[in-house]
Amino acid sequence: MEVTLLVQAADDAYRILENARGQAVELLNTATKLTSDTRWMEEKKIEAVLMGAQKKKSSLQNFVVTFLMLFAFWALLSGKFDSFHLSLGVVCSFVVALLGHDLLFANVRVGDIRVIVQRFLAYLPWHVYQIVVANFHVAYLALSPKMPISPKIMRFKTKLESDISWVTLANSITLTPGTITIDIEEGEFVVHALSEKLADDLNTGEMEDRIAHVFMEADHIYIQDVLDVARIFAEFR
Amino acid sequence: MNNFLIVITLALCLLVFVVLYRVVFGPGVFNRIAAISAIGTKTLVILIIFGYFYNRVEMFIDISLVYALLNFIGCVAAAKYLETEG
Amino acid sequence: MIIRGEDIIIKTISRVLVPFIQLYALYVIMHGHYSPGGGFQGGVILGASMVLLFITHGYAEVNRKFSENIAVLFSSIGVLIYSGIGFLCLLLLGNYLDYSKLYKILSVDPAHARSLGILGVEIGVGFAVMAVMFSIFFDISTGGVSPDDEEEAE
Repeated sequence: MEVTLLVQAADDAYRILENARGQAVELLNTATKLTSDTRWMEEKKIEAVLMGAQKKKSSLQNFVVTFLMLFAFWALLSGKFDSFHLSLGVVCSFVVALLGHDLLFANVRVGDIRVIVQRFLAYLPWHVYQIVVANFHVAYLALSPKMPISPKIMRFKTKLESDISWVTLANSITLTPGTITIDIEEGEFVVHALSEKLADDLNTGEMEDRIAHVFMEADHIYIQDVLDVARIFAEFR
Repeated sequence: MNNFLIVITLALCLLVFVVLYRVVFGPGVFNRIAAISAIGTKTLVILIIFGYFYNRVEMFIDISLVYALLNFIGCVAAAKYLETEG
Repeated sequence: MIIRGEDIIIKTISRVLVPFIQLYALYVIMHGHYSPGGGFQGGVILGASMVLLFITHGYAEVNRKFSENIAVLFSSIGVLIYSGIGFLCLLLLGNYLDYSKLYKILSVDPAHARSLGILGVEIGVGFAVMAVMFSIFFDISTGGVSPDDEEEAE
């Protein structure tokens, strides 16, 4: 009697465990499938964006955008808006755009120029604030009698992809007092920093993230990671 | 206002002389290049202050743009020359 | 002393800057009679933009846009525009480069014709100065032998 009960109990326990295991496996499978689905969808989306950018990036559009930018620059310089000077401006911008329409947008990959300009303008106040903070820090370093500097050269790999964003990051680093970009070697930045605090500020990578946001690079990876984690959590709950 | 501009211009001229020390006695040619381009930026600011002084800012901005441009190109050319010469 | 590498910062900055420099040079040429500058200064800036492109992007890129033959052609065209306007004034019974006589063919009053004549002469000077400056730099930096010829000789 007792033995039967014991066996039955063990059987029940085993069955429950088996059930639970089956459910867990099924759940994991669904989660994996969902993840790969979202990844596939995201990849499709990125591919579409890339293809669209490629299609849009015809040389005619480059030419038109270059021409408009140059003509705006001409109007800014000239300040004379009679028909004679404006027509001179049109001719000059046309000639220069004809010569150099492949220079201004040589390596722009993804993204819309208007969005980039908007985000860049939104990035500037933060960068000016950063410059002011670093400026006071460097002034403190220079004026304190002990001169607590610890200059060092640091290297870091960047996650940015195009050369224009590399150059923006490098110039942002150089504009911030106390840090200077020495070189970019195959996406690896070589930076000279004057003190520990400045180097730590740079190592947090906030500037890099913001520039990636400006040029719409690398942020699709973050969106995808968040999507994946959210789906898995929802399934398990 | 004019006195203020004169004082600023004089201070910048003094700074130019400080940097000129680096150009004349600076160890190595890279210090000299960097110092020359620093003098170029100071000259640019002095030119624009002159523009306010004579009430013809737009003319002096044209001149200072050319100055900045040729300063940049000269700096790059000197650096490139040294790079190829080793 | 220095390892030669891909200096991507200089390359990108000059790539973005060159069209604006060229437009600024044309502005200096065209507004020579209102603001400082004129044909010679504008030509120097235009030549400097070409020199910047040559320094940063190398021979091939510049040769594709503005080869040495075109430079020679442009310097001749510049001198032709200058002396052509001068002799046109002679033909219209004025002195050499007497722009006010140009009103006979331009159908504007003499003062305006003088302004337009100065503009034409400045464009000619700008072309000539740009082409000559660029070809001087070209000859000095390549030693008078273009890299294509060197490759063929090897």
